[in-house]
Amino acid sequence: MHIEREQVGADVLLKVAGRLDTPNAKPFEASLMEVVSMTDGGIVVNLAGVDYVSSSGLRALLVAGKAMRGAKRKLTLSSLQPQIREVFDISGFSTLFEIN
Amino acid sequence: MLVLAELVAGLGLLFIGLKAMATHLQQATGRRVRLLLRSATRSPVVGLVCGALAGAATQSSNAVAVISGNLVRGGVFSTRDAIPIVAGGNVGTAALVFVAAIDFRLLVLYLVGVVGFAFHFKLDRRTHLKEWMGVALGLALVLLGLDFIKQAPRMLDVAAFSGVLDSSLTPLTGFLIGLVASSVSQSSSTPAILVLALMQAGLLGLDDAVSIVLGANLGSGIAAVFSAGGLQGTGRQLCYVHVLVKAVGCLIIGAAFPAVALFGLDPFALLDEFSGHQASVSLSSLFLALQLAGAIPVSFARGLSERIAVALSPPTVEDSASRPRFIHDQALGDAATALDLTISETTRLIKLLPTLLPDLDQTDGGDAAERLALWRGAAAVALAIDNFLSDLIARGVARDNLEIALHQQSLLETVRTLQDTLHDFTEVVEGFEDVPPLGFALSESLRAITLSLADATDGAAEDLDDIIAIAGDRSEMLNRIRRQLAASALDGGSDTRQLLLATSLFERAVWLVRRSAVALRAPRNEANPEAPAHADSERVEADAHRA
Repeated sequence: MHIEREQVGADVLLKVAGRLDTPNAKPFEASLMEVVSMTDGGIVVNLAGVDYVSSSGLRALLVAGKAMRGAKRKLTLSSLQPQIREVFDISGFSTLFEIN
Repeated sequence: MLVLAELVAGLGLLFIGLKAMATHLQQATGRRVRLLLRSATRSPVVGLVCGALAGAATQSSNAVAVISGNLVRGGVFSTRDAIPIVAGGNVGTAALVFVAAIDFRLLVLYLVGVVGFAFHFKLDRRTHLKEWMGVALGLALVLLGLDFIKQAPRMLDVAAFSGVLDSSLTPLTGFLIGLVASSVSQSSSTPAILVLALMQAGLLGLDDAVSIVLGANLGSGIAAVFSAGGLQGTGRQLCYVHVLVKAVGCLIIGAAFPAVALFGLDPFALLDEFSGHQASVSLSSLFLALQLAGAIPVSFARGLSERIAVALSPPTVEDSASRPRFIHDQALGDAATALDLTISETTRLIKLLPTLLPDLDQTDGGDAAERLALWRGAAAVALAIDNFLSDLIARGVARDNLEIALHQQSLLETVRTLQDTLHDFTEVVEGFEDVPPLGFALSESLRAITLSLADATDGAAEDLDDIIAIAGDRSEMLNRIRRQLAASALDGGSDTRQLLLATSLFERAVWLVRRSAVALRAPRNEANPEAPAHADSERVEADAHRA
């Protein structure tokens, strides 16, 4: 898994590529939480390069989403591949995030 | 011919009677036996006595072993505590052999008459009499069967027949006959009673009877292991304790006979003299001595007995998963504590829900056998919580606590249904040779939802709101998926049928997750005074229904 970080105005853009599976979920969650704690704007997670997401990956996003909501900030997901969007819709996790 | 017919009829009546007696005794005394056994862990002596009482009350050492096994798996006591109880159960079964030793002809006739009249006047329709009438009928059939067996040889030349038996029976053949007879009847007391009948008819001498009863004693222990079938872990450990009791009893009593002979004494003559020259008393005393000789050393050396049983049948994943971690009988005395423990135990079950699903991140989806064991264990704990709550409510609790108890019962019912639904879903997913993308999406989504529910049990109320949100209605989307699947199913693919089933189970599971979250959103207990008020919980539930 590969994560690129970019500042876009007040927000942080994270470009993620690879598999969001059990081995990668913890480092991914740690990266997200680091951004949550070190910045005070919104976060946009671009998942265009993600071709696989498992329950562990969804859980990592949920943890970050909760932290952002607690800080009254916004976590947005963007550019989901169709099969990844389907997992978000079936799991109901798309109701918790703004998805572009 | 009449002799054979009477013998066969007697055996038939004996078997039916023993079965009826054991079944009705277990129904009539089962609850009291369970209560008795629950308090039997103070010392090996108390365990032995309680086990003997339970064995006498159920007339089945297997029943005592099975009840004890369930209590061990339910965490009421340990295998070590159960050893004297199982050993005592064998001693208790000697009661029937003593009953059979009594000259009961007149008693049988009156008993059959009384039971017949009682059934004629429909006394068996009264709940409290029903089981005891079954016991009386069983006993009457046993005694009637024995009477037939004893009367059968009256037309034979007893002296000639016993001569034939004497010449053909050696200690080894007698032992083997006993071994086979008890394996077939799965009981040591049944062959002992038959031997008793043959002795009373003058067909069998005490020396031959001893070898048959020794064989029957060991055989019933071995039969218990075979009848345990696929039982593993703790349940099987107690079967091995059963064998140990029987084997040690046979060794000690079997060795006692030649040991006495070494001192120039005749052991059979001594036994005959001890029992006042009554064959029936000799045999029933020998049967009791066999049980005591096995039960006492196995109970007092229970550390060693446990090590042997554990080595032969190590605990399984299911044994560990079946053990409640919080609830225990002593807590029933304080309703508030009992409810707190119930909440903790139910919460633990909710945290275990994701383990019932396959982890498709792993190439093999995880260990299916372990998942099955975890599901069985979780179901056993859920049943234990349900019984615990029912016991608590039956004791009478204050109105506030009653509301919480009923709320917990309702939540538990949802969790139990959810456990079963997740298990059914898992079986469908495991049925795929290669899990298709939709199967993967459903399985991993359900796993993510249950993981989130498990996390939310420790979190803030808002976390449960998230679960209520993500577990919202998705029937439109699932119906669309089903329509697409149905269209593609025209080629009759079995994967498609499995996927259709998976979507239905998925939908039901998500709905149950939502129900659980709604119920968890409104806990009220003395330990949690800041929880939302009843009106709030009703609002949340109403919101959920609207959604």
